[in-house]
Amino acid sequence: MLTAAKNQVRVCLLSIKYNIMREMVNKVTFLTNVCFMVLNDASILVQWFILFRLREDVGGYTLREIMLLWGLTAASFGLSRILFARVFSLSELIISGKLDSFLVQPKNVLLSVMTSSTNISAVGDLLYGVVLACACRPGVGGFLLFLLFTVTGTVVFTAFALLLGSLSFWLVRMDILQSQMTMGMISFGTYPDGIFEGISRFLLYFIIPVGMAVWLPLHVIVNFDVRTFFALIGYACLLSGAAVAVFYRGLRRYASGNLMEARL
Amino acid sequence: MQVIRVEDLSKTFRVKKKEKGMTGSIKAILHPQTEKIQAVNGVSFTVEEGEMLAFIGPNGAGKSTTIKMLTGILYPDGGRVEVLGVDPTKKRKQLAYQIGTVFGQKEQLWTHLTPYDNFRFFGAIYDLSERETEARIEELSERFALGSFIDTPVRNLSLGQRIRCEIVASLIHKPKVLFLDEPTIGLDPVVKENIRSLIMQMNQEEHTTIFLTSHDVGDIEKLCRRIIIVNAGRIVLDDSVEHLKHHYPDKRAADTQAHEKAAENGDSLSISLEEIITEIYKSEERIAEK
Repeated sequence: MLTAAKNQVRVCLLSIKYNIMREMVNKVTFLTNVCFMVLNDASILVQWFILFRLREDVGGYTLREIMLLWGLTAASFGLSRILFARVFSLSELIISGKLDSFLVQPKNVLLSVMTSSTNISAVGDLLYGVVLACACRPGVGGFLLFLLFTVTGTVVFTAFALLLGSLSFWLVRMDILQSQMTMGMISFGTYPDGIFEGISRFLLYFIIPVGMAVWLPLHVIVNFDVRTFFALIGYACLLSGAAVAVFYRGLRRYASGNLMEARL
Repeated sequence: MQVIRVEDLSKTFRVKKKEKGMTGSIKAILHPQTEKIQAVNGVSFTVEEGEMLAFIGPNGAGKSTTIKMLTGILYPDGGRVEVLGVDPTKKRKQLAYQIGTVFGQKEQLWTHLTPYDNFRFFGAIYDLSERETEARIEELSERFALGSFIDTPVRNLSLGQRIRCEIVASLIHKPKVLFLDEPTIGLDPVVKENIRSLIMQMNQEEHTTIFLTSHDVGDIEKLCRRIIIVNAGRIVLDDSVEHLKHHYPDKRAADTQAHEKAAENGDSLSISLEEIITEIYKSEERIAEK
């Protein structure tokens, strides 16, 4: 059992290594992608600097908290797309029947699929997120919490994308909904939760789980609460468990395909 | 010893139906309709250890669907499958350690990596140690003559070189059964011949059972001793290649009409395997039309 887990991890790490090697074939493109992603993220933050010159707080957030929120969203989404980029295009894989090569391998199908691709510009997101968090000087405890919630945020982002992508086993054109919902999650994750009320707030906590990925973790970093802390970890486990169950349930309906294809 | 046992295997796909044009598209949204396609319908057969079997049929006959159920890619709707004593639907991973697959139309190799790096990756997938992987790469590289391009990225290889590498990748863990789904598709005659002799060599030296689907009769003639023809999801013929080649013309000779027609044209009644297979396909088509 332990050897099997060790071998599975070995293959996943090798897969991630090869993905990064592929992206680094062209060093100029690699560096440009990373740098422009950092610049892109930084440019949007400028708006907040201007806004906070006019107001002291927005939706109950200070500038420092907004920076931490940006840092957490960027780092979580970045890490998710570095390690598990394929999840974000899972719908397309299912619809066009491209899971065959993963199914004939003696390894966990889901992990093999998830780690089979990487998005190199996401390195820029991760770097930007960590630098931003450091710039907020959250202290050692705060920074450790930031790192932990980056991991739980990664799990929530990935599990949510996996859940939506897996619905493609039943529903056609889920690729559009998967893409819109995950991108929506990132967009909402860069605004303070205080500006959302009523139904929209409920939706953003329980349907599109932005609240569980970044807002509540941010509150815990700012004002530590042990119950919320464990609730967040429990939620990340629960959501990923549900997403994995839906994927494997759907896999029984997988219809494969006969299109000519290459592993690019 | 039987390595593959298939009993009453069946698989149905649901396919969306849509009338033509924009109106059809709108109707399909409001009243979605689906149609059941029986891809495999009560197929039963067994394969002995070390056998080289050709599993053929016209397009859409159910060959690839059957292979995919045997390898654990698809779940059957009914019937039983056992490959090397393992049910692919229940123990897919356990089975994957013992079988190899080559899908001529689907690449399993990473195109930006060299064949050598790919083989190391496949070695890790099958839990081989570094030493075992290196030894196996050396052995297969020599046998398949990969030496001159083993360090060239896969995307820069010719189709023939790539297929050789695909086969090597599928053999890295010494599988007991090798599933080949149109392995020679798109290759020139010389490369085809080369691939066939390598497969034959693997069968003779490592006693690997070969399960082959191909539209190329040359593959079947050169490699297989037994042939199963499927059509519309059913087995229509299960015979040895030799028996089919020698007895089908006899059957044809008994057909007076064919005899007279051949006599009129001054043709001989002895026909090639390709013609025999084409005639079987056509006669199945006629039965289906009736």
